[in-house]
Amino acid sequence: MSIFKSAVNKPITTLMVFTAIIVMGIYSLINIPIDLFPEMDPPFISVMTTYPGANASDIETNVTRPLEDAFNTVDNLKEITSVSSDNLSVISLEFDWSADLNEASNDIRDAIDMIFNSLPEDINRPSIFKFNMSMIPIVFYAITAEESYEGLEKIMEERIINPLNRIEGIGSVSLIGSPKRRIYVEVDPVKLDAYNLSIEQIGNVIQAENLNMPSGNIKMGRMDYQFRVQGEIQESYELNELVVGHFQGSSVLLSDVAHVRDSLRDLSFEERINGQQGVRMFVMKQSGANTVKIARDVRKAVDELKKDLPADIQVREILDTSEFISDSISNLSRTMMWALFFVVLVVLFFLGKWRATFIVMITIPISLIVSFLYLFITGGSLNIISLASLSIALGMVVDDAIVVLENISRHIERGTSAREAAIYATNEVWLSVIITTLVIVAVFFPLTLVGGMTGVMFKQLGWIVSITVITSTLAAITLTPMLSSKLLALKAKSKLPEKFSHANLIEPLLRKLENFYERVIIVALANKKKVLFGSIVLFIGSLFLLRFVGMDFMPESDEGQLSVNIELTTGLRVEETIKVSRQLEELVYETIPEMELISMSSGADEEGGMMAMFMEMGSNIINLNMRLYPLSQRERSVWEIASNLRLELDKIPEIADYSVSTSDGSSGSNTIDVEVYGYDFQTTSLLARELQERINAIPGAVDVQISRKDDRPELQFVLDRSKLAEHGLNTAMVSAALRNRITGMTASFLREEGDEYDIVVRYGEQYRQSISDIESFLITAPTGHKVTLGELGEVKEFFNPPNIERKRRERMVTVSAVPEGIALGDLANEINKVLDTVEIPQGVMVNIGGDYEEMMDSFMDLGLLLLVSIILVFLVMASQFESFLMPFVIMFSIPFSFTGVILALLITNTTLSIIAGLGAVLLIGIVVKNGIVLIDYINLMRDRGQALNEAIAYAGKMRLRPVLMTAMTTILAMLPMAMSTGEGSEIWSPMGITLIGGLVFSTLVTLVLVPVVYGIVSRRGERDKMREVRERFTFLQDNNNT
Amino acid sequence: MKAVMITFNQAHSEKMEFIFDQLEIRGYTWWNDVQGRGTETGEPRKGTHTWPEMNSAVMTIIHDERVDSLLESIRKLDEINKEVGVRAFVLNVEKTY
Repeated sequence: MSIFKSAVNKPITTLMVFTAIIVMGIYSLINIPIDLFPEMDPPFISVMTTYPGANASDIETNVTRPLEDAFNTVDNLKEITSVSSDNLSVISLEFDWSADLNEASNDIRDAIDMIFNSLPEDINRPSIFKFNMSMIPIVFYAITAEESYEGLEKIMEERIINPLNRIEGIGSVSLIGSPKRRIYVEVDPVKLDAYNLSIEQIGNVIQAENLNMPSGNIKMGRMDYQFRVQGEIQESYELNELVVGHFQGSSVLLSDVAHVRDSLRDLSFEERINGQQGVRMFVMKQSGANTVKIARDVRKAVDELKKDLPADIQVREILDTSEFISDSISNLSRTMMWALFFVVLVVLFFLGKWRATFIVMITIPISLIVSFLYLFITGGSLNIISLASLSIALGMVVDDAIVVLENISRHIERGTSAREAAIYATNEVWLSVIITTLVIVAVFFPLTLVGGMTGVMFKQLGWIVSITVITSTLAAITLTPMLSSKLLALKAKSKLPEKFSHANLIEPLLRKLENFYERVIIVALANKKKVLFGSIVLFIGSLFLLRFVGMDFMPESDEGQLSVNIELTTGLRVEETIKVSRQLEELVYETIPEMELISMSSGADEEGGMMAMFMEMGSNIINLNMRLYPLSQRERSVWEIASNLRLELDKIPEIADYSVSTSDGSSGSNTIDVEVYGYDFQTTSLLARELQERINAIPGAVDVQISRKDDRPELQFVLDRSKLAEHGLNTAMVSAALRNRITGMTASFLREEGDEYDIVVRYGEQYRQSISDIESFLITAPTGHKVTLGELGEVKEFFNPPNIERKRRERMVTVSAVPEGIALGDLANEINKVLDTVEIPQGVMVNIGGDYEEMMDSFMDLGLLLLVSIILVFLVMASQFESFLMPFVIMFSIPFSFTGVILALLITNTTLSIIAGLGAVLLIGIVVKNGIVLIDYINLMRDRGQALNEAIAYAGKMRLRPVLMTAMTTILAMLPMAMSTGEGSEIWSPMGITLIGGLVFSTLVTLVLVPVVYGIVSRRGERDKMREVRERFTFLQDNNNT
Repeated sequence: MKAVMITFNQAHSEKMEFIFDQLEIRGYTWWNDVQGRGTETGEPRKGTHTWPEMNSAVMTIIHDERVDSLLESIRKLDEINKEVGVRAFVLNVEKTY
C-alpha cells in the first residue's frame, strides 16, 4: 500500500506521527544553544617556546628554524608562520579544515621530541596550544575603584571570580591590569658599599630569616609535642629589623641600607575605563556552551554579587558579545515572521480558500521544526546561518503542498469524494513532486561537501535546506492529502459568490493575466529569432555591468564596536604612553558623542599572557575599546565614526602607527596583506616602507601597516672577557648580578591569609637611571674584592628588530591595508598595479595574501560548487524527462538569473561577497524548478496530441499560476531578509538581494524565453515520432511489392 | 442472467461499491488499475505521466430484471461529472456453473 493511501486511511496515525515530530522539534529548539555562527574550530595549532634572555634573532636561528624544519613533515599541514621576538618563539601551524587536530598535535609533539635534544639547553619545553573559538572572551567587565584599588585583586578574586567560576558552562574568568602587591627592598648602593655588603647577601639573609621549619617531635612525660621554629615575618615592616651584617662591631639592620616599600608592582600597564583607573575582567565559555545563556547567567550573577562589594568599586559591562547575537537572532526571527506572513498572503491570494491555505501553511512549521531536530542531534546551534537557511527554505516548503493540494481540489471539483480525490490525486503527482524536490536537493546538498572556512558556514545551510525541503515533500504526500480528505468538501455550486469574494475580485484579475500571457507567448513564438537574439544581447550586456560590481569577502556588520590599536615611538616608556592616552581620551570624548563606554589600556601587562594572544601589547602601545549606543540611537554608522577617528588620529604627532577596527574579529573583517619574503632585513623593510607609502596613496586604502616593528633601541653590556677572567668572573655571574640589581632578586615571600607576595630586593630606582650609574655598579668577585661594572666592559646602544616574522619557513614582512568605501577586490587590483610598478630587489618575493587570498579561495570553491550544482541538476532533469535536450531548454533560464543578480547588486549598491555569491549558486535550483513546471506541462500537452505552438501557449496559460506562486512565495519570503536594517542584517541581506534579483528576472525570462527555446528545439525530432513508429511497425502495410 | 461489465475511473470506486450495496448485488469480480480509453470521448487512462489517471473494472452477473436499475444508478453516477467517466455494458450469459 502506498504511503499516501495509508496516510489518508489512517488519519489519526498520520496526525500522531506529525505531532510527535513537532513535539520533538520543540524540545530540541529549547535545548539548542544560540550563537552567531556555527561552531567552527579553526585548524590552528601554536607552539610556544621560551628561551629566556635570547633576543629575536637568536630565537629565530636557534629555536624557530629548527622547529619549523621539524614540523614541515607533519601531515595535512597547510602553512607555517612564526614570530620570533625577545625570549619567545611562537610558531603557528595552519592545517586543512578537514584535519584531525588531535592527531596533528600528536604529530607535532613527536616532531618536537625528535629535535628537542639539539635545541639550546636553556629553552623551556615547547608548549602546544590549540586555538579554539571558545577562547574568545564572551563578556568583558570594567571594574573601577577608588579607596579599595590597592586590594582590588583580592576582593575580586574572592567575591566575584570564584562564585562566577561555579556557573555551568563557564570556561574561565580572568582579570587584567589588576594591581599586584609586592614588597620592594630598595637598596642604597653607596651605603651597601660602605658596610661592605652586597645585594646578594641581603637577599640571602631575607631568605634565611623568613622561614618556618618543623623540628620534630619531643616526648615529655606522657605527652608528645610537636616542635617547630616560627621565623616567618608577619608584616612587611618587620623586614626593617633584620640584621643583614656586622660592621665595626655593631649590627647593620636592613633599614640602615635599604628602604622597605610595601606597595604595588611597578607600573607597566594602565587600564582606564571611562577615564577612571580600573581593571578588566573577561569571561570565557566552555566549548559548545550556549553563549547567550551564559552571558545572561553571568550578568545575573554579577548583578547579585555586586551588592557585596565595597561601595567604591564599580562593576560595569564593557562588551557583551551575546547582545549582538541575541539582537541578530531576534531580528532574523522577526524577519522570518514577516516572511511567513507574506507567504500566507501569496497562497491565500492564489488559492482564495481559507481551508486550503491552512492545509498548505501547516507544512511550514512541520518542515522547519525538523531542522531543529537536526541541529539538536548534530550538536549544532541556532545561528545566523541556520536561521537564514530556514528563511530561504520557508518559501520553498509550500511548493509541494500546493501542487498536491491543487490536484486534489481539481478532483474534488469534478465531484469525487474528498477521500478518493486525496488518494488518487496524490497518486498522480507524487512522482513529479519528488523530482522537483530532488532538483533543490541537488543544489543544496553539495554545499555540505564544501571544505575550508566557507564550508563550515555552508554545511548547515546545505543540510537544513535539504532536510526541510525533503520533509516538506514527505508532508505534502502524507499530511496534505490526509488533511484535504478531512477538510476539503465539495461546496454547493448554487451559492453565488459574494461581491468582495475571491471569485469576484481576484479571479478575473488572474484570468486576465493568463490571457495576456497567452498572447505574449503567441507573439514570442512568431518571433523566435528576435526573442532569442534579444535575450542573448541582454545577457552579454549584463556581463559587462559586472565590472561595476565590487568584490568583497564577507559583508561587514555594524556591531557598534570600535577597537583602536595605537603604536607610539618604539621603546617609549609606559609613563609617556599614558600621557598620550590621556590626550586621546579627551579627543574621543569630544569627537565621538555616540560613545557609551570607553576602556583604554596602555602598556603591557606581564601577566595578561592570554590577552596578548588577542591584541598587541607593549610599553608603547595603547589599546582602546569603545562601545557605541545601539544602531537605532545614533545617526553615524560605525564606519563613519571610524573614518572620522582616523582623520583625528592623523593629527597627533606622537602616534607612529594605528589601526581602527570595527569588528571584534569573529565576523568578517577585510584586509589585504602584501607579503614580502626575503632574508635581508634592510632590503625587505625598505621595500615594505615603499609599498606602505604607495598603498597609502591609493584612495580607499586605510590602516596601512607594516607588521615588522621599527628596530628598538637596546642597551647592551659588552663584556671584555679577558678582564672578566682576571677577576675570576664569567658572563653568567655578571648577568645574574646585573639582573639582581635592576629587575631585582625575588628573595622570599610574605605570606598573608593564604596568599604569597614577592619580596624583591634591588637597587633603588634613583641609583639605576643612567649609563654611568650602571657602569658604577659594584660586583663582588669570587676572590672577595669588588669590581665596578665599568671595568669589565662597556654599555653600548644597539638597534634590534623586536620581532622576526616568518612564513613558509622564510622571513617575511607584511604590509596590510583595509579598504574603506571601496571593495576588497578593487583595492587588491589597485595594489596589484602598484606591485607592477615597484622594482623588486633580487631574492625578494612579493605575494598578496590576507583575507583577499581567503576570498579568492572561497570564490574558487563557489565556482566549483556552481559547476557541481549545474551538473547534478542536469542529471536529475535528464533522468526525469528521459531526454538530453529538455534540461538544456530549462537551463536556458540560469544565465538570466545571473543577469538579475548583477542588476540587483548594482541597483542596491551591494558588493559581491561570498554570501551574495552563495545566493547566486542557490538560484540555480529555484530557477530551474520554475522551468520544470512549465516544460513538463508542455510535454504533457504534446503527448496528448496537441500541436506544438498550441501546446506551448496552452501549457503556459495553465501553468502561469503555479509558476508565479512558487516564485512569489520564494521572493516574498526573502524580501524581509533583503530589506532588514537591524543588527547583523549586513551579513545576510546580500543573499536576499541576490535571490530576489535573480528570481524576479529569471522568472520573467523563463516565462517567455523557455517556451521560445522549446519551440525552436522541438521542431525537429518530436514531430517525426509518429513517422518513426509507423516505420517500425510495418506489418500492417500491404505487401504490394512482393 | 446478464453479465454487466462496468469500467470506470477509479475515483468512482467508493460510489461503485455503494451502488452494489444499495442494489443488494452480492456477487461481482473487480479488477483494480486497468487501462483503457473511451470509444468516443473518454480520455485515455494509462497511469503514465501523460495520462496519470487509472480505471477499474467490475463485472457482475445478475438476473435480467435487475439490469435496468443498475444501469439507472450508473447513469446517475455519470451525471455527477461526465469527465470522470463510467460505462456499463450488458452481455448475455449463455451458461453458468
